[in-house]
Order: sequence, then structure tokens, then C-alpha cells
Amino acid sequence: MSSTAMKKKVLLMGKSGSGKTSMRSIIFANYIARDTRRLGATSKCVCVKGVTISFDVEHSHVRFLGNLVLNLWDCGGQDTFMENYFTSQRDNIFRNVEVLIYVFDVESRELEKDMHYYQSCLEAILQNSPDAKVFCLVHKMDLVQEDQRDLIFKEREEDLRRLSRPLACTCFRTSIWDETLYKAWSSIVYQLIPNVQQLETNLRNFAQIIEADEVLLFERATFLVISHYQCKEQRDAHRFEKISNIIKQFKLSCSKLAASFQSMEVRNSNFAAFIDVFTSNTYVMVIMSDPSIPSAATLINIRNARKHFEKLERVDGPKHSLHMRMR
Amino acid sequence: MEEDCKPLLGEVRTGESYSHGGSTDSLDYKGKRPFYVEPRNIVEDVSQERVSAEAAVLNSRVHYYSKLTGSSDRLLSPPDHVIPRQEEIYIYSPLGTAFKVTGSDHSSKNPSIVTIFAIWNTMMGTSILSIPWGIKQAGFTLGVLILIFMGLLMLYCCYRVLKSPKAIPYIDTSDWEFPDVCKYYFGKFGQWSSLVFSLVSLIGAMVVYWVLMSNFLYNTGRFIYNYAHNINVSDTEFGTNGSEKVICEYRGTDPAHNDSLGSLYLGDSGNSTSDVALFDVWWNKTNTVPFYLIILLLPLLNFRSASFFARFTFLGTVSVVYLIILVTYKAARLGFHLEFHWLDSTLFYVPEFRVFFPQLTGVLTLAFFIHNCIITLMKNNRNQENNVRDLSVAYLLVGLTYLYVGVLIFAAFPAPPLYKDCIEANFLDNFSSSDWPPSSSTAAVGEVECLAQWHVIVVVKGSESVTHSLFLSDFQGTSETSHFMVVNGLDRIACISPRSSECRESCTDKTPCLLPGRE
Repeated sequence: MSSTAMKKKVLLMGKSGSGKTSMRSIIFANYIARDTRRLGATSKCVCVKGVTISFDVEHSHVRFLGNLVLNLWDCGGQDTFMENYFTSQRDNIFRNVEVLIYVFDVESRELEKDMHYYQSCLEAILQNSPDAKVFCLVHKMDLVQEDQRDLIFKEREEDLRRLSRPLACTCFRTSIWDETLYKAWSSIVYQLIPNVQQLETNLRNFAQIIEADEVLLFERATFLVISHYQCKEQRDAHRFEKISNIIKQFKLSCSKLAASFQSMEVRNSNFAAFIDVFTSNTYVMVIMSDPSIPSAATLINIRNARKHFEKLERVDGPKHSLHMRMR
Repeated sequence: MEEDCKPLLGEVRTGESYSHGGSTDSLDYKGKRPFYVEPRNIVEDVSQERVSAEAAVLNSRVHYYSKLTGSSDRLLSPPDHVIPRQEEIYIYSPLGTAFKVTGSDHSSKNPSIVTIFAIWNTMMGTSILSIPWGIKQAGFTLGVLILIFMGLLMLYCCYRVLKSPKAIPYIDTSDWEFPDVCKYYFGKFGQWSSLVFSLVSLIGAMVVYWVLMSNFLYNTGRFIYNYAHNINVSDTEFGTNGSEKVICEYRGTDPAHNDSLGSLYLGDSGNSTSDVALFDVWWNKTNTVPFYLIILLLPLLNFRSASFFARFTFLGTVSVVYLIILVTYKAARLGFHLEFHWLDSTLFYVPEFRVFFPQLTGVLTLAFFIHNCIITLMKNNRNQENNVRDLSVAYLLVGLTYLYVGVLIFAAFPAPPLYKDCIEANFLDNFSSSDWPPSSSTAAVGEVECLAQWHVIVVVKGSESVTHSLFLSDFQGTSETSHFMVVNGLDRIACISPRSSECRESCTDKTPCLLPGRE
């Protein structure tokens, strides 16, 4: 598979109002324009006035994991819309799909209809991109009472697994006010990174060599933590999400100045942290608790490691046995 | 201690950094809730956790999400069930101490009396000027009975509107307005129809205010002209003699005659009669002045911010109070002129029961209308269990006010020299502009208030809601032109009910009344 192949897609689909735009904005740190707000909820593809259904799809030209493009589609609530959608545009939409992420609104009262649309999407995927990975997100779980969440999610998961055969779908329950959204997307991205286990092993070696306290690997577009290594127990279990949020806010501010974020160093008497570009798909964050190690040393280490990790990431490159080199 | 705590309370900081020029944001406390501040003890090196991990990460999320949307956008603002309860909230100082936030939270709740006053204030509109006319149209007894009955009916409907979100199970309806409830029960049709009915009443009120404003403009122009040309109008008005002058705009016994008294003038010389006639052609109450008003009000469309004019809404209360005092004074001076003729009509009086009573019911439906924002108004009541009681008290007060003004004016209208039938739809027109206390100044004060509310609602909220709803946001990004188009497209649009701006003032939710709500 050559790297100049057509761009593969990540489809983010779901009923209108299920929270896809918010989710995309939060994960990819995009500013939400006012007019896509709920007032004209499906302003994306609503104008069902005449004969032609023109849907205005949200192409966010976000380069995600290298060569993936995110497409956001509303599976709208109008039936005529759905019929047209699935006959004329179907092949266009569902070709070349790498990942399908389908969002369900947990408080939706039209469960049958939702499942029906989902199955139609799956059929289209089977026909056009049978290798695609399917993820289902049961969203807005914060609206369900805490003691019922597990139960409801299990129910939905069973239904979805059953309906998705022969494709295998992975289900997550999410809410933007929880850590569940972050974890779900981290898992999704983790499964999409090629050679991720090898990356993890090498990351551990790298961390041990440079004597770092903790090393994190972020995906470039979303700053989701793909993998990490820590040498001792850390106190805050939510630190990944916090770091991601902080960096994404910084990225937003930078973009207002038409600047792009490249690297950062934070240092005080207790620790030094370095965030830097790593490979074409990732960023790395290195935390050193020994303040006597000069920054320059760590930065050189990171730079040298970069080359090795680049080779690991290439899907069509020959597999280097990096273990021998790094040892 | 307070000085130490002040900079930590992020409202001030975050508010400044988020403001994009929409100055109505000052009322939106919910969008700026920094319920939690990370305790960074800079004095000691203490590693203990004072706040829970969940609160810390939620704070990080709230800060991040707030950067993703516009300042007035509530899409990503934390809902109530996600924020920790009031009892769990502490305020920390960097020096290490903390205190708990006691009492009500920052979006302060109002005691009952304030809520009642807010409802009264919002309901009192220019309908009060038409109540005597309405009573005249229905007949005195029937009018009073209808007023009481309509008040009770509207109160019951309002009660049902207030209770409707609570009756919906399994869904968090805490920020729902009535169109959302309609959408829940009737789907899109319900939402649209509730919006349309809201707009109908608003457009009706807009027309009323336009008429009033053009009347005022006409009278002002006329007054200036008369003053400049030394024309005395008082002899041509058909009215009472004496110190309390009440005029009747109809001449003779034909009440269907429209007023064109302006055409009869005693001028200084014969030449000026033709000038007067020319003036009357160009400055006509019904034909030309309303269009001149468009030119005057057009620049106001450029004011995007609502808060400047919103400050004038207090003039509405002032004018109502002044009106009541005026009415009492006039009634005391004129005395009562009441005769009860039950079904027959006499020359000077009207029967007690008339077939024109639907006109009164029509006036009263707008007079008692507050249903589009009662939910939001009541949200800030401190003791929610008293909502129904407070609503009833408010309606009672409003009903009494209307009854008072209506009955007094009707009863005091000097029937033997004039006809009860002369009572105008705007009873201030019955009083001559040259008498004292100046009833025209009430109109002036009311006009400024009208202007304020007109601007606020039409320009900022009304056109927004209309363009977004009717034109399905194909106009995105062209808000200026779309506002302009809406305003010019609707003929003779004018002011708006005081309700919407009032309820914006008194409640923290910015867009409660006109927008169709979040789906």
C-alpha cells in the first residue's frame, strides 16, 4: 500500500443533535462557529425544501494520524433525506473509510430508528470499505443517573454487538463532562496507530535510557495520549486529560496569531518538562525530575530518538529491529 | 481576606477575556461559573489534596471548553448536574486558608416580592391605556366582569405553562422554555406554532408602539407648528369647558367620524389657512408621520448592543406610576358620572351589556400576556414552592391596577356634556395637550421607554430569532443585512412588549423568550 494512496477517511456519524460537533470541537480543538449552534440544529443538511437535497457536509480538513481526513455526517431525522442519502451519495460517502465512529444519543427516544440508520450505515460500509473499524459511542451519559449508567450501557452494547455482525464493533460510553470521552477517543486512536505495541516498547527503552520520570506520546492533531511510560506511581490519574486541555488551549491561542505550536519547555526547581514534535504523527512529552541534567542533553536525546521512531511509524518500511540498536 | 480572595474569583478575569462585544453577557452568570479554583499554596510546600481529583479535572475541562465557543454561546457551558453542589464549594486563598460560600449562589435568587414586582412590571404595557375604552366597548358591568374572568383565565393558563416543564419525566428540563415543551409534545410543529404565536403577539405589540410613537411625533410636530404660527387650538376642540378639559374627538353625534379636527383652524390671517392645509397634507397622523418615523429610527438598527437601551426600561415603571397618580387626580377633579342603563343605549351613556365585548377580551389577552417568559422569570425565585402563590399575587395586582384605571376613567368621564362613547382607545388622547398635570409628558416618558424596548427587541433579539427561525440560518454571517431586511420587510414594525426586555433584566438567562430554544 503506497503512501500516495487516496486519503482514507474517518467518518463521524450519528443523528443530528447527538453531539458530534461538540465532540469534534473538543477533541480536535476547533472553534465552534456560532451558526452551527443548536438553533438551526441541522443547518448542515437541513434545507429540505425542494427536490435536491444538498447536504453540506462538514469536512474538517484535519489531518489525523498522518493521512486520515475527518468527515462529519448527520444521519438526519428526515426520512426522505435518508432515502436519497443512501441511494445516490452512498458510494461516495462510504468508500475509502478507515474508521467509522457512530454516535448514539443515550436519551434519544427513537431507538428503533437509530438502530435502523446504524444498520444502513453498516451495510454501506460492508459493501464499500469492508476493512473499516467500527466504533460506537453512547454519548451524553451524564444525563443518566449514576447508578443506572452501567446497566443502560451494557444493554446498548449488547444490542449493538448483535446488530453489527459480521463486523466487530467496539462500544464506549462517553460524556463531554467526564473523563470517558477522552479515554474513548484515546482508545480509538490507540487502535489506529500502526505498530503501536512496538512504539510502546521502544518508548519504555527510551525513557529508561534518558532517565526520565515519565514520557508521554501524544497524537499530533488531537493531543490524545497514545501511550506513556512512568517509572513510579503518579498521584493524579487525570493528568493526561489536563495536559491535553492545556496544550489545546495554547494551540488555540497560537492559532489566533497564525502561529503554530512546536515545542515547549517548563522548568522549576523540582522538575523539567519538555514537549516537542516527535514523529509525523506524534508529539512527545518528557518529564525529568533530576534538575541537574541540563536541558540541552535531554533535547539532544529527543532529537536522536526521533529518527528511530520515524522509521517505526512507516507502515510500508522494513521492520527494523530497533531493540538491538537502542540497547 | 476579601481582598485576597477577589483575584481568585475568575469571573472577572474570564469575563474580560471572553467578551466579544456582546454586552448582554453581563447578565449571564452561568457561562462564567468557575466553581472551583485550583489551590496552589505558594507559602508552604504541602502536597495534600484539598480538592477532589474529579473537581480538578472538571475545572480543567470547563476552562478548555469555554475557549471553544463564543462568549454568549451556551453550547458547552456546564449543566447544573455536572457542577458540584453548593455545599461542596470552597474558596481558597493562596495563603492557604479557605472559606465556604454560604447562602445563595452567585446568580442570586430573588425573594418573592422582587419576583412579584418583576412580573407586574413586565405585564404592565400600553394595554393599560386601552382598558377604559375596552370597558366602554363591553359596557361597564360586563366589562368589569370580563376583566375579572379573563384575569383568572390567563392566570390559569400561565400556571399550566409554568408547570409544564416539570411534568416531563426522565429529562432534565431545567433550562427549557415553553417552546421546548411544545416541541417535546408536538414535535417541530409544536415548536414552530408556539414561536409563531409568540411572534404574533410581539408583532401586535410592535404595531401598537409604532402607532403610539408616530402619534407622539405627530403631536410634537403639530405643537411646534402651532407654537410657531401662534395658532390656538383649544377653541376648536370639542370638549368640556372649565379647568379640567376633556375633549371628544368626534364632532356631533356621529361616533364613526374620524378625527380630522386639524382641518379646522383659526389662523392669524387668511393666507395661513392654505399653509395650514399644506402642513396637514405633509404632516398627517395616519398617512405620512409613520413613515417619517422609519427615518428617525433607522440609525438605531446599528446599535447591536442591547444594554444601552435596556437601561431605559425603568421608565416604564415610572410612567405607570405616574399614570395611576394622574388618573386619581383627574377622577377626583371630574367626579363620577355613572348611570346604569342595562340594555338600552342612551345618548350620553352606553348600556351595561354590549355586543362589542370581544374587543375587551382581545385587549385583555395582550394585557395579561406573560406566558412566553414566565418560566424564566420564575426560575430566579428564591423559594420555588411559592411560585404559584407569587404568580397569583402578581396577577391579582395587575388585575387591580387595570381595574382601577379602567373603572376610574370610565366613571369620571364627564358624560352630560360629552358622550361615554368618546373614550378613545388611548385614553390620554381625551385629555387636551394644554392642561395640567401634563398628560402628554406621560406619553413622552412612555415613548422613550417604547423606543428603548423597540430597539432592544427588534434589533437584537427579534430579528435574530426571526432570521434564524424563518430563514433557517442560510443567512449566517450576514447578521447586519439580515436584521435590516427583516425590519424593512415587515411593514410598520415598531416596538415590542416590555416583557422580553424586562425578563432579560431580571433573569440571568439571556435568550429566554424569543428564541425557539435549544432542541
